Amino acid sequence: MPSVGSRPREFDGRPAEAALIRFDRVSVSVRGKSILADVSFVVKAGEKAVFRGKSGSGKSTVLKTLLGLYPLAAGRILFEDESLDPPTVQSVRRRAAYIGQEPVLGAETVREALMLPFRFKTHRDNKPSECRLIDALEHLHLSPDILDRECRLVSGGEKQRIAIARALLLGKSLYLLDEVTSALDAESKQAVLDMFADPAFTVLSVAHDPDWVARCDIVLELEGGRLTRIHRNGSA
Amino acid sequence: MEALDIAPPRMAVLYGVVLLPWLLLGLTGLRLSRAIVVGILRMSLQLALVGVYLKTLFTLNNPWLNGLWILVMLVVADWAILTRAGLNRRYFFAATFAAVAGSVLFSTAYLLLLVIRPPLYYDARYLIPLAGMILGNCLQGNVIGLERFYDALRKNENEYLTYLLLGATRWEAVLPYFREAVKAAINPTLAGMATLGLVSLPGMMTGQILGGSEPWLAVKYQIAIMLCIFASTVLASILNLVLSVNIAFNEFDVLKEDVVERG
Repeated sequence: MPSVGSRPREFDGRPAEAALIRFDRVSVSVRGKSILADVSFVVKAGEKAVFRGKSGSGKSTVLKTLLGLYPLAAGRILFEDESLDPPTVQSVRRRAAYIGQEPVLGAETVREALMLPFRFKTHRDNKPSECRLIDALEHLHLSPDILDRECRLVSGGEKQRIAIARALLLGKSLYLLDEVTSALDAESKQAVLDMFADPAFTVLSVAHDPDWVARCDIVLELEGGRLTRIHRNGSA
Repeated sequence: MEALDIAPPRMAVLYGVVLLPWLLLGLTGLRLSRAIVVGILRMSLQLALVGVYLKTLFTLNNPWLNGLWILVMLVVADWAILTRAGLNRRYFFAATFAAVAGSVLFSTAYLLLLVIRPPLYYDARYLIPLAGMILGNCLQGNVIGLERFYDALRKNENEYLTYLLLGATRWEAVLPYFREAVKAAINPTLAGMATLGLVSLPGMMTGQILGGSEPWLAVKYQIAIMLCIFASTVLASILNLVLSVNIAFNEFDVLKEDVVERG
């Protein structure tokens, strides 16, 4: 794990074998339309899980439901054995980073984007030094020159890596990655793959990239909002 | 000296002034002819009714009746604000009422009790037109503020959620949209103050001058009403947005699906 951020807190006093995230017969409906139906799975701390399926199969919904963005129509979600009530959602959000295909940087320049969270009360006293900013960027194969570039001028792949660097600076340990390798060149992709191989990170992802899928511990297939197959890599 | 009366036949002549624009708009194919006729008839009828009830209110000059009329104006304004901002009245009716009523009553009371000081503080001749002017302008600001805020939140949903995931509280996450909405709500009043008297003579001042007041008296009243309009617009917009933020989100800080009624 790089030295750029605070050490992830995921394993604080918690046995590695315990379930970090448990979906138990979860159903989600949005405006009366069923998006997820009867979805159950378990992800342990440090594991990497990938959801696969056609567009509209509910992959991104799984990630967003864990963040409390969709109310449950049925079932329950447990995070560290706690039901997903408002305080638990806050706990998930403190630990989690959601990186989509086109992440929002929310600032004029890359430096401001990296510093954005440190304007909020909860992080105000932990402003990172210039060295830590550069360290985080270099860890994702980004040149320090990018710090003063305008965000509107950076590519989709760079935006994704900047968003990951920002999450690293915050010491995030749970990464929800939505097609994150799709905009990356081979070298950058390798850097991202290597970084998330660290057992300190738990990853729930949506991806079709074979390299990424091969590195994941659990592969979950979704179709029409239902889990059709759960496969553990390395198991028979 | 009083304003010259307009006799009924000359009132009929007055409507002739819109004939040419009405015909021209008809020729452009805009299909506004019916809307214009309805608009002019509605305006005339509403103002005729205003004439009737103002005459009654002024004659009776009863504090309870005056208070009841202010209440009716506030309820109608509340309804109009939420309808025009496209927000669900079920959620916001009480909050918008509290924000607008509190601000308008504060400004009107300030003006009447501390500045104008009429012999009767509830005198309909002062209370009703002043409260009405303050409320009317405050209404515009609140429509713009609420509409701008919820529109920005819906259009920037991902940005708002990103702020939450980066550690922002709900308030920290909505702050950029809140600031923009307050600015938009206040801007028309600010711009109006900046050009008042240069571009046009304000309505209240014109009315007073036509009614026989000295220009200086009319100017003092105009300054008084502008300051009160500004104060009530700022107070009501901020209060309305603050109260609405506590209503519009669910316990997970996500905007409730049905708070905005139109797409």
